[in-house]
Amino acid sequence: MEVSLTAGAIGKIMSGEVTKEIDMMPVLQVTEVRQIKSQQEPVRERFRMLVSDGTQLHQGMLGADLNHLVKSGTLQAGSIVRLTKFLCNVIKDRRIVIIMQVDVITTKADIIGHPVLGGKTNDQRVADSSNKSNATGFEQQGRSEPIASCQINNTETGRSNAAISPEVGHRQGFGAGSSVPTSTPSTWAYNNTETGRSNATISSEVGQRQGFSAGSSVPASAPSTRAYNTPETGRSNAAFSPEVGQRQGFGAGSSVPASVPSTRAYNNPSAGQGVPRQDHARDPPTSYPPRQPAYQPQIPPPMYANRGPMARNEAPPRIIPINALSPYSGRWTIKARVTNKAGLRQYSNPRGEGKVFSFDLLDADGGEIRVTCFNAVADQFFDQIVVGNVYLISRGSLRPAQKNFNHLPNDYEIMLDNASTIKQCYEEDAVIPRHQFHFRIIGDIESMENNSIIDVIGIVSSISATVVIMRKNGTETQKRSLQLKDMSGRSVEVTMWGDFCNAEGQRLQNLCDSGGFPVLAVKAGRISEFNGKAVSTIGSSQLFIDPDFVEAQKLKDWFEREGKSVPCISISREFTGSGRVDVRKTISQIKDEKLGTSEKPDWITVSATIIYTKFDNFCYTACPIMNGDRPCSKKVTSNGDGTWTCEKCDKSVDECDYRYILQLQIQDHTDLTWVTAFQEAGEDIMGMSAKELYHVKYVSEEEEKFESIIRNVAFTKYIFKLKVKEETFSDEQRVKATVVKVDKVNYSSDTRTILDAMDKLRNIDATSLPIKPEGSNYSAEAVNTSIRSSGTRDPSSVDRRDFGLHAHQSGQYGNQYSSGSGAHGGGATSCNVCGNSGHVSANCPSANEPQGQYMGNSYRGTSGSYGGGGPPRQHVGSY
Amino acid sequence: MDASSPAVFVNGALLRRFIGQKVRAVIQVMRSDIGSVIGKSTDDQQIVVKGSPQLPLTTYLEVIGIAETDNTIRAEVWTNFGDSFDAQNYNELCKLANGEFRHMFI
Repeated sequence: MEVSLTAGAIGKIMSGEVTKEIDMMPVLQVTEVRQIKSQQEPVRERFRMLVSDGTQLHQGMLGADLNHLVKSGTLQAGSIVRLTKFLCNVIKDRRIVIIMQVDVITTKADIIGHPVLGGKTNDQRVADSSNKSNATGFEQQGRSEPIASCQINNTETGRSNAAISPEVGHRQGFGAGSSVPTSTPSTWAYNNTETGRSNATISSEVGQRQGFSAGSSVPASAPSTRAYNTPETGRSNAAFSPEVGQRQGFGAGSSVPASVPSTRAYNNPSAGQGVPRQDHARDPPTSYPPRQPAYQPQIPPPMYANRGPMARNEAPPRIIPINALSPYSGRWTIKARVTNKAGLRQYSNPRGEGKVFSFDLLDADGGEIRVTCFNAVADQFFDQIVVGNVYLISRGSLRPAQKNFNHLPNDYEIMLDNASTIKQCYEEDAVIPRHQFHFRIIGDIESMENNSIIDVIGIVSSISATVVIMRKNGTETQKRSLQLKDMSGRSVEVTMWGDFCNAEGQRLQNLCDSGGFPVLAVKAGRISEFNGKAVSTIGSSQLFIDPDFVEAQKLKDWFEREGKSVPCISISREFTGSGRVDVRKTISQIKDEKLGTSEKPDWITVSATIIYTKFDNFCYTACPIMNGDRPCSKKVTSNGDGTWTCEKCDKSVDECDYRYILQLQIQDHTDLTWVTAFQEAGEDIMGMSAKELYHVKYVSEEEEKFESIIRNVAFTKYIFKLKVKEETFSDEQRVKATVVKVDKVNYSSDTRTILDAMDKLRNIDATSLPIKPEGSNYSAEAVNTSIRSSGTRDPSSVDRRDFGLHAHQSGQYGNQYSSGSGAHGGGATSCNVCGNSGHVSANCPSANEPQGQYMGNSYRGTSGSYGGGGPPRQHVGSY
Repeated sequence: MDASSPAVFVNGALLRRFIGQKVRAVIQVMRSDIGSVIGKSTDDQQIVVKGSPQLPLTTYLEVIGIAETDNTIRAEVWTNFGDSFDAQNYNELCKLANGEFRHMFI
């Protein structure tokens, strides 16, 4: 039958709290009934009983009226009764309970608990036993003793273990009740060092018993504690066996083997203590009834190991700031938010394989630390950890941080093991910041060392497309670069590698193409030296687009006010070599953007048609002498006798090479220009080698054939890759363009690019365009075209947003993307302004647009640059 | 061919808007019968083209003719477009030509 005795009742009675039934009607168990023969009155039977509340016993006198209960057997040893009327008197310095009325609840019952007699409280007892079972005392006090107590205990005496133990036991890792075997070595250390009692700790696992356990399990050998699960064995406390036995019971229950090892280990060293706590043992057993699972007296419920290693500790954990963590901290608990979570990574090293996962924490004081878990522990926690949530973490171990991988400002990092606990915290969200940055000004980057890790924030002024780069080890990876500007007036190139290109990179690209200038914050980017300084992402970097920080807001404001127009000096030199991605432009942009006028030549791609070829000098005589793996190609002069002399090689050759030097006029829908094509490009265009052509013209003089060839060349459309550079020609600056490569137009992909561009144009409209020309649905009014997220050049990297109501007109709308769709029926009306059909000039969509808005303008391709408004150009002969 | 009125670029969905009018469409030939060709429009709708092509057909075919029903065209002009063709681009063209940029076409 399940009846609970009123825990602590005896204590209260003894302390005087409870003196009468009006205070309390405790349920107690009668452990003993003895008859007293009264000396004074003749043959007056009085019964004296020992009543227990499960932990303590007390003397009581049964009122004479109740004698019959005893006589009849209703009230006997073991009976459980409720005192309905009683009195507590002090007789001869002793309190005696005089019981006048009882309700017998159960007549026959086993003795509950192991009540011990004492006029003193456990505390006192403890004191008495001084070292002994402080545990009891402690235990009774409840576990919430923080580690500190343990420590104190430890310091006090060896015994303290006992004391400590309990505490430690439960609270701490032993399990802080949670039966998590303390993973904090430190605690162990304490225990151990102190006394080796670690047993106690071990005991703790077992549960409170520490005191006991201390006695029992601690028989000094930590191992035994382990054994505590099989307590019998370990027990050096043979003496305690009985007790131990009980404990064992608990211990056994506790099956916290996991913890044990740790404890054990620790215990061992000190274990020497083998000193069985005999004293404990002795005392505790008698004085402190071991807890039985069912019975929960005033002592807080023991931390039964059988609850499992992760049982919670009732004691509120002491939360310490991350910055205060050190390998010598005792059992600690931190409360922090996860700012970054790395993936579960497999590795193999000489010691074998494994998997590892780590995450970064940030707490309310701004302390940051990385937490790493291996193998099983990694599996255990991986799913639990979510970036942004706040967790309480305790019982990890600390080790020095690996600065190579860990860029957080902390000298240590945490390693979790089986004993660690992670508990999610749902309150106090706001106190702990989401992320912590130490932003640097871009201007400072110049002076910083390579390979240092920094955080930076700025406005994205331009972004280019992803390229695939071959790494040294042969694998391919993606790379994407962008320009970041900030208030220092400097801009830096930020390179994204791998996944960043696709995720954040694409988003940034879309934002930029739509005309936005997003704020980008980079956390843990590495400074590298590559054509000036640049910042690259590393594995643990984090990118935040348009974040919600104060700095971001400030940057945005600065940008709106002045940043746009301030020319930014780039600390990263642009690498516009031929490795560059296709920068699509329209021919008009060459003039508008003053391409080629900076120090370095510009490489651009245009889609255009050859209109005219100068055939007077389409080739020249060239030196065929090989200079390395290339022919010299310098112009050779004729010696008159059929031989040719090269100035550079200083030699004479009989046969010279003929190399193309074609002057072509190419045109797209915006403009036309002269370009020069040399040998390779020339051959592609003409379709035959220069020598052949030379033969046709001069040698065989097949005029007709020559004519037809030329005619074929005209009006062929190609994708030209041009190198544009300004050169000085006898006091005159001229921008010259050389054809580097000629490609056939791939209509399909071109069309797609154009469609994409149209979409983006439309999006910009949706967001920022205020102006809409009359009657025209034409998207991309005004503004957009001038939007230029500064391309690769610095001088012109200023954004030009011409909300232009330029009444100019440029070019014609090439129907260039009517690839394959054939000719449209010509409309009757033809617009004067743009030359297009179907509307009149008044309705002309292009009337209000700055140049370059046309579909064709999508040649900007990936770079997102639009042609700026420029002077009107009238093109004759709409294409 | 009567070139007085321009033909509207259509795909399957747009065809019904121009019943009775001259349209042009690129279709992917599925089956060829006497007097008609069954094909798939660029937006995956079945189109029947009435008439007989004089020439052997390639995979893609442009027909210009009068739209009879919402899935039939009576073709007057047949043009082979070859075996490779970017149907998606053409589809986009049809949408734009009849939507946003209608003014540019008809």
